[in-house]
Amino acid sequence: MSDLVNIEGAPRPKIDRREIVRVAINLAVICAVTAVVLGGVYLVTERVAQAARLAREKQAISGMLALPPGASVLEVSQFLVPDKAEVLYRARPYGDEKATPRDVAFSFTGQPRDAAAAAASERLVPLGRLFVASVNGSLAGFVVEGDTRGYKAVIRFFVALDSAFVVQGVKVIQHEEDPGLGAEVATGWFQAQFVGRDAAEIANLDVTKDPMPEDWRAALRTYATETPGEWREQNAGLIRRERDRPIYAVTGATISSRALTRGVRTTVDHFRRRWALLATRLGESS
Amino acid sequence: MNGTDRPPGARALILNGIFAENPVFRLALSLCPAVAVTTTVANGFILGFAVLFVQVLSSVTVALTKNFIHPRVRIPAYTIIIALWVSTIDMILAAYFPVLYSQVGLYVKLIVAFAIIISRLEYFASRNPLVPSFWDAFGMGMGFLLALVAIGAMREVLGAGTLLGFTLVKNKPLLFFALPAGGFFSIALLMAFFNWIEIRGGGKPSSGGGAHG
Repeated sequence: MSDLVNIEGAPRPKIDRREIVRVAINLAVICAVTAVVLGGVYLVTERVAQAARLAREKQAISGMLALPPGASVLEVSQFLVPDKAEVLYRARPYGDEKATPRDVAFSFTGQPRDAAAAAASERLVPLGRLFVASVNGSLAGFVVEGDTRGYKAVIRFFVALDSAFVVQGVKVIQHEEDPGLGAEVATGWFQAQFVGRDAAEIANLDVTKDPMPEDWRAALRTYATETPGEWREQNAGLIRRERDRPIYAVTGATISSRALTRGVRTTVDHFRRRWALLATRLGESS
Repeated sequence: MNGTDRPPGARALILNGIFAENPVFRLALSLCPAVAVTTTVANGFILGFAVLFVQVLSSVTVALTKNFIHPRVRIPAYTIIIALWVSTIDMILAAYFPVLYSQVGLYVKLIVAFAIIISRLEYFASRNPLVPSFWDAFGMGMGFLLALVAIGAMREVLGAGTLLGFTLVKNKPLLFFALPAGGFFSIALLMAFFNWIEIRGGGKPSSGGGAHG
């Protein structure tokens, strides 16, 4: 116990209060200047980055659905309106931020609500987006944005469906999985495994660690997102054979493979139920 | 090195960064990122370029502002300055080079923690005027860039049989070199090569990390 008394009695190091203040102010000023510079860089680069993202997104959408140049795409953003316990769908021509959006609202149980009253002051929680493509006024397909918890961070992806809800393509647009392992789920051969499966098959889709048949592996390697239609024609037999079998996991990345498969499954399932409600109400507008 | 010495000229400083005190082969600093990104020449070049950018701007910033930075908080201040330029190059790459960024973006953010950058700020830029600090940073950045390109070339050729994406041989000669362990072997072989040249030229082999002993 005498040790403790000694420590109590030891002279405390002298603290110079003015020194502390000086150091604190110095660091604060450095941080403030840095923040201002970074803010400036962000303002300049964000516009360019935004445009590049939009261009890549557009390319991905028209590529997956093999849309002709004249196709029109409607972007539908889904929001939660917590104050009114509503789900709001806001539709506008894709890429045209200035267009007046058309709002459609539902209660949580799917009852239509009057969306005209949706004021700008309301708190909106973004829930995701979907794109409805049409060619000459007839429905050409959908691209639905989805996300899922990957091995490291959220994996965001697009699922392209034709008007009968058959998968036309899956494309990971953002992920932070490990290069060489989980990142393989973002490559063409893995994503091509989803192509051609209909909604019922997707609903029962599972992942297997079994080795992939060599002929299927060879076919998947040739998948190019630019010409999905040709690839499907050339490999129609193999796709028919594989479409009711599970997804073959990336070796060493079963968690990432399961994550993307689960994400596609729930996204397609949710979208089908949403579209059943939305289709008629969105049609009223045009 | 102390502040009263007259700093050497630009040519000497650049050659020092590329050969005598090459960050990777002689100082053996920042080896983890050097291994992680150098599976191809292109990836090595992008990260090397980002390091060059951050090193030069950080050294210039520190050389200009060293009298305003309180000595007690100089390390946090240097870290913030490095973070500033890393975030800047990160946003620029993301905006203007999205395809390349998608491959090396993860590592660009890690430049904040690269030992080579903060050590040049502490050992050189904080004790020397603007112009020598610029050339020292340029030399060190070039040394890092050239080292990453050399390692990337070796691993891409041996591991994937390609160079800059062009196929040299049909098969993959030594896949081992594309893997992380192969990265360390590549660095060791190139380091040995550099030492061999040094010895043949009559110099002494590097002791590795000797500059900051």
